[in-house]
Amino acid sequence: MVRFKHRYLLCELVSDDPRCRLSLEDRVLCGLVRDTIARVHGTFGAAACSVGFAVRYLNAYTGIVLLRCRKEFYQLLSSALPFITYLENKGHRYPCFLNTLHVGGTIRTCQKFLIQYNRRQLLILLQNCRNEGEREAIQKSVTRSCLLEESSGEEEHLDSGDEAAAEAME
Amino acid sequence: MRSPAHACMLAALVDSHLRGAPHPTSGRVAEMSNAKERKHAKKMRNQPTNVTLSSGFVADRSGKHHNRGGKPFQTQKSESHSGSWRQRQTKMTHHSSPGANEQSSSNIMFKKKGGWKAGPEGASQEIPKYITANTFAQARAAEISAMLKAVTQKSSNSLVFQTLPRHMRRRAMSHNVKRLPRRLQEMAQKEAEKAVHQKKEHSKNKCHKARRCHINRTLEFNRRQKKNIWLETHIWHAKRFHMIKKWGYCLGERPTVKSHRACYRAMTNGCLLQDLSYYCCLELKGKEEEILKALSPMCSIDTGLTFAAVQCLSGRRQGSLMLYRAHKYPRAMLGPVTFIWKSEGTLGDNSESRQLWIWLHPTLKQDILEEIKVTCQCTQHMESTVCIQDPLLIPPQEGNQSELPDEKTGKKRKWKDDGENAKPIKKLCGDGTRDPHQPYSWTSPTTGIIISDLTMEMNRFRLIGPLSHSILTEALKAASAHAGGEDTEKTPHQWWIETCKNPENVSLHHRQEATFKLLGGVASPAEIPAGTILGLTVGDPRINLPQRRSKVLPDPEKCQDDEKVRQLLLEGVPLECTHSFIWNQAICKSVTENKISDQDLNQKRSELLVPGSQLVLGSHESKIPVLLIQQPGKVTGDDLRGWGSGWDVLLPKGWGMAFWIPFVYRGARVGGLKETIVHSQYKRSPNVPGDFPDCPAGVLFAEEQAKGLLEKYRRHPPAKRPNYVKLGTLTPFCCPWEQLTQDWESRVQAQEASHGISCLKGEEGDFQRAQVPCASALEESRHPDNGADPATKDSHEAESVMDTECPDQARTEQASSPEATSGLCVLRNRRVLRQLSAWCGPSSGNRWAAQRAHGRGQQELTRETCLSMSDCFPRALVWVSLSLLRKGSPEPHTMICVPTQDDLQQLLQDRGYCGPLESKHSDPFKSKIRKQKEKKEAGNRQPQGQAASEGLARRGPDGESLALTQGLWPGPLPAVTSHCSRVLLGFVTQGDFSMAVGYGEALGFVSLTGLLDTLSSQQAAERGLVLLRPPASLQYRFARIAIEV
Repeated sequence: MVRFKHRYLLCELVSDDPRCRLSLEDRVLCGLVRDTIARVHGTFGAAACSVGFAVRYLNAYTGIVLLRCRKEFYQLLSSALPFITYLENKGHRYPCFLNTLHVGGTIRTCQKFLIQYNRRQLLILLQNCRNEGEREAIQKSVTRSCLLEESSGEEEHLDSGDEAAAEAME
Repeated sequence: MRSPAHACMLAALVDSHLRGAPHPTSGRVAEMSNAKERKHAKKMRNQPTNVTLSSGFVADRSGKHHNRGGKPFQTQKSESHSGSWRQRQTKMTHHSSPGANEQSSSNIMFKKKGGWKAGPEGASQEIPKYITANTFAQARAAEISAMLKAVTQKSSNSLVFQTLPRHMRRRAMSHNVKRLPRRLQEMAQKEAEKAVHQKKEHSKNKCHKARRCHINRTLEFNRRQKKNIWLETHIWHAKRFHMIKKWGYCLGERPTVKSHRACYRAMTNGCLLQDLSYYCCLELKGKEEEILKALSPMCSIDTGLTFAAVQCLSGRRQGSLMLYRAHKYPRAMLGPVTFIWKSEGTLGDNSESRQLWIWLHPTLKQDILEEIKVTCQCTQHMESTVCIQDPLLIPPQEGNQSELPDEKTGKKRKWKDDGENAKPIKKLCGDGTRDPHQPYSWTSPTTGIIISDLTMEMNRFRLIGPLSHSILTEALKAASAHAGGEDTEKTPHQWWIETCKNPENVSLHHRQEATFKLLGGVASPAEIPAGTILGLTVGDPRINLPQRRSKVLPDPEKCQDDEKVRQLLLEGVPLECTHSFIWNQAICKSVTENKISDQDLNQKRSELLVPGSQLVLGSHESKIPVLLIQQPGKVTGDDLRGWGSGWDVLLPKGWGMAFWIPFVYRGARVGGLKETIVHSQYKRSPNVPGDFPDCPAGVLFAEEQAKGLLEKYRRHPPAKRPNYVKLGTLTPFCCPWEQLTQDWESRVQAQEASHGISCLKGEEGDFQRAQVPCASALEESRHPDNGADPATKDSHEAESVMDTECPDQARTEQASSPEATSGLCVLRNRRVLRQLSAWCGPSSGNRWAAQRAHGRGQQELTRETCLSMSDCFPRALVWVSLSLLRKGSPEPHTMICVPTQDDLQQLLQDRGYCGPLESKHSDPFKSKIRKQKEKKEAGNRQPQGQAASEGLARRGPDGESLALTQGLWPGPLPAVTSHCSRVLLGFVTQGDFSMAVGYGEALGFVSLTGLLDTLSSQQAAERGLVLLRPPASLQYRFARIAIEV
């Protein structure tokens, strides 16, 4: 099969300011990254990276961001990411930085990595928690994620049912 | 670190990306079909969507904009989810609802605080004071679940095993779940179930084994030929030919192998075999005088011999003629037919009743049958069908029983109706589409003539080419006469035994056999007198079938019998030898029913003591009556006389394949409908029904052809097809004969007016009267036997009287009723044609021909003779053949044009002159079409525009009004003759490079008025030169016109 080969960069946005997360939207992030590449690598770099560049996934609660880039120039992108030091939105600047967790060839591998990574995070959190309430809450969410894994099949059934209903509505 | 210039540039960049980009995409999205969108949504349904803190607002906004059809704030990627966006969003928020709520409510309370180390990389993250761990964990959990869903569930449209990399795929994975890795098995199981449900119901309601069982196969075989009639050789043909449904039959159009040239060679040097069983046969029974009296108004002595020609009437020869509606000659043409009289019975048949078979093309059948019924006054339906008809049983059948038809409606209906309980189902043979309640036989109380429709009751095979003699004599062996009466009870072939009891019959049979054997010594069928008939009774041709296919070569030893052969060639077959039992329906029926099946025959063959030795069936062998009819080849013109002659073999039905295979095994090449056309083209004879523009079938054919060609033309884009408007071709797909003749009429009238020549009425009348006796004298001189038979002479006289009246009649009719015709007729008067043909040739070159013409009392070409002729036949067409002088191969619908004086001069100076060029025409319709299109694209279809476009709309051949087609002349045609730089004379109906003569040849019709005008204006030396121009070319080419009689 002939296709364009991409690299997916799974990054984590780390910021002290919670309002930074509030302003985390894909178009903002998109602009910011382009901006940075242009600053670091010049016009050539900006043009090379802007082909096929996209924000594929973004979660404001966890700060996870999935960036897509053509395989040939992903190093330009990854080398530019450390230069992002703030997030600008609606005139406000929030200091932050991006932490690259994983570089993958498909979205799927990135997703798999993210699952592993989040599990690990939860476990660390479980180890480090100090009071019982926290422990219970965390344990609950851990079990929930595990349960979800098992019952995913059933969910799909439900899902397809929903979908059919939605299509019928249309 | 960051310069203002950069900022500006980037702002612009971002702007262009965020505002500029979405606009086109949103437009595209709006146009994107719903189905495509849904497909994409399905593909992305399991993928996680973006989660932002302001997702609630986004959802709201997107919903709002989605209603408007565009989402300026979203990138394309997020739009693509739009199908189930809201649902997804709500679900997402539901998953993470506690966290989201708490967080958004505690947004203000968030404070920076030194916290715990979160990431494994050791990135420090400050966590808010309260419930942060909880929120953190819940957000992570929600994400895990979303990702899990995305990873575990297949989202694309592909099947499960397609997601596997190649090296992990295994054979039979698609239907054996166990072949898949275990983690995918569950999904694959579900998918397989779904696929089974989706698969549509199995079309065959029986299992394979049941379908293959014999009864069901026969039933199916019979069912398949209900709609279109199958010939008996259908299965054989269907394996080797492109089959088409035409005229209610399934016919082989052309072989699937490349064989154009090979078929031509077979016609010229070998033998070409064709199944012409689709030709229809009408049988007329009754007294000779009655039949002749009834049929004489339908034909004219002008066009050649009639039904009463002596040779034909005696039964020695086959005749061919043109049929017209009664008393309407020369208009209201019905079509060409061939006919055979049954020879007058010396063999104890009742001499009162004669039998006449009229063979005709299926397209002409309806009209001719109706007309014959009217002229014979046959209105009463016979209650029986033809297949059980017995001449002795007819009178009682007419009157009484009404339950008889139910009982005796012929075997084939019975097989269908009560095949289950009573009889084993038999293969359908003959006409499968016949309605049992429709009569196929009519009688008349006054004249006593019985007409029956014998369509598909006989097989007719045509062998063309010099080898046909060898093949016939090899394949057919005359039946052995029954000698002793030892086992008379057992054999099913009682009729033959009965016949052999009479020594006269036996001697006749031997004479027929001897004559038939003589044929093997004749080199070509063209040497035998045209239309010779030979009756024969042959044994089963399957018995001496060669082991493998081979080619028969003429045996030189057979050419010894000089004296007898010479007599045969001179006198033809003796009259009594034309007798055949195929005329007897009862015998035919018994022969058909008692045919030994292939299976039984092979069984017997396998039981032979010495494998491969000759099978002797003795008296159990079938005896099949056949009739051989010589088909004349090219009978007109001077060159290639006798080309394409051959023999037709008539067989009783059911025996088609039994004769077909032996013929093929002896080296006959089989041709289809296309070969029929090629044959008639090289013979320069008109092809039925395409070359009969004045008969209804021909008109219908032309319409269908135009429709097909137009459809084909429309399939090409305008740039890849010729623009006929620019080429100056008004009618590339049809020939507007009526307009052509009308135009010429008015043209000549205008000329006359300008010349000031008055029409010489009186002279014309004299001329006509003077010519008639001359014509009849000619006829008689050519056929000296005519005088001998008083009956024929009578009819001749009657017809010649009719001839004098006919043109007048026609003229008055035309004047009185405009519907009668549209005035088109094709000139078939042989005398006039002969005259024209003499005028067409360059008279100076051929002195002998000129002398001959003088001897026949033909006139010089002068204005008066022209005028009188065109007055006799107003708006007539003439069948002409054209041979190109130099290059070029004409095609159908090529225009025949009149060369100007300059063209002829140039040709005279330079023999290599190819011909003039037509200058390019302008296309006034192109801009109109463009305007229309623009209007349509703008989308404001006003009723005004609609009306205008309909006014411009071109009337298609199928009657519906179509929009303008680029490259075709719309609407009513302007004057067809003077549209181009050379005056139009006529059109070509068949044309191709002729392999028989080695240059391009064409056949077509020209307007008689135009032809006379052209001839009289041309010099004697170059008389008969015309120009040909194909519809898709601007090049004219010179051709010589010839009228062959």
